[in-house]
Amino acid sequence: MDHRRADFENFVAHNTDALVRTAYLIVWDLPEAEDLVQETLLKVAGRWHRVRRMEHPVAYARRILVNLALSGADRRGRRRRELTGEPPPERGDDSPESGAIDTQDELMRALAALPPRQRTVLVLRYFLDLPEAEVAAAMKCSLGTVKSTASRGLARLEQTLRTTNDTRSIPT
Amino acid sequence: MTDQTELRAALRERAAHVPASSIDRLVHHDYHPRTRLMRPPVAIGALATAGAAGAVAVVISLSAGASNAFAGWSPTPTPPGPKQLAAANADCQTQSPIAGLPLKLSDTRGPFTFSVYADANASATCIKGPAFTAVSGNESSAPISVPAGHILLSSSHTANRAGDAYSFADGRAGDGVSAVTLTLDDGSQVQATVANGWFVAWWPDTQAVKSAAITTPTGMTTQTFPAASQAPCGPQPCPSGGFSQSSGFSGGGGGANVSGFSEAGGSSKGGRRSR
Repeated sequence: MDHRRADFENFVAHNTDALVRTAYLIVWDLPEAEDLVQETLLKVAGRWHRVRRMEHPVAYARRILVNLALSGADRRGRRRRELTGEPPPERGDDSPESGAIDTQDELMRALAALPPRQRTVLVLRYFLDLPEAEVAAAMKCSLGTVKSTASRGLARLEQTLRTTNDTRSIPT
Repeated sequence: MTDQTELRAALRERAAHVPASSIDRLVHHDYHPRTRLMRPPVAIGALATAGAAGAVAVVISLSAGASNAFAGWSPTPTPPGPKQLAAANADCQTQSPIAGLPLKLSDTRGPFTFSVYADANASATCIKGPAFTAVSGNESSAPISVPAGHILLSSSHTANRAGDAYSFADGRAGDGVSAVTLTLDDGSQVQATVANGWFVAWWPDTQAVKSAAITTPTGMTTQTFPAASQAPCGPQPCPSGGFSQSSGFSGGGGGANVSGFSEAGGSSKGGRRSR
């Protein structure tokens, strides 16, 4: 069974980087992203004898990761409210202290403030450059839902950015 | 002017914040699988080989320090406490590496519950105690059958994070097997729980199974098991999370049997790393 172990280790070596960065962009928090990827890889390991025969094992891992991330999003939000007594912060935890207007910084803050599903669609679509059909498969939803969620996410980004700079726009 | 190129750039910039150490730590976590070390089977008779067996994860999680980790254990099964079985089943089903298997038997010894879930091709075991829960599983490509009056024994030992080693023996029991008593290398005996074509027993420390006394309608027979060719954990208890496996079949060739192993530590939920 050494070949099976080698297969799995090869899978981990080649895909962990992208999985962690994807998770980080979805949940916007590194420790949470690490936990999600570890849990994902444990689940993949448990089914590796089947997963390794799939055409795209990484797509299966990605689907687990997205499911774990989104199923935990509401719980994380509730926990944060219980701890602070206030709604989750609208901004990412590393928002720049500087008052200087920088397009990328503003964009990151706008991304951090997106609802998890909208941010997930944009991450899969524009960070991983997945076709809409693969995004739909990863999120276990319809193609139409992917399109509408992406559209709403982009519109929300544009709206957020317009509050600071009316000259910006995001074509959909 | 912000466009999709700018959005992609922002996402790449954010993703670049992930440090290499984070990736490295996750890549080098030992998820899976470790091949079980096989005890030479006592080969008589014939048994259709189990074929290539699937590997599954073993997840151990600890919720507290494990000194006196096995307090309350007894060499004979004890009646379960109120809600003990329900609590164990709920926890085990959540963490089982193979979902959907029916419960075959539960062995209770003091506060510990050892459950076996199985169908014709797959099995999962779960031991739940006050301070830890451990699950494991096996799958084979063909149904496993055991002749009447025989047992297919699989024995392993492992340790929790505190280094407290424990061993267990489980397997399928052929028709007519009503009781199994294991004799360990040190001469001590452990009575197994037998039900629904399965048996299971476990004990603190790393003593191996030397023989099994099997009760059937026609009387009692004794099966012996040769010592493992290699002691994976040596004379000392296995290191935290260590895992070794031996198996033998009294009436046949013994199917190839592997198990994966991975460990999640620290918190009460398997798969979560403590920080």
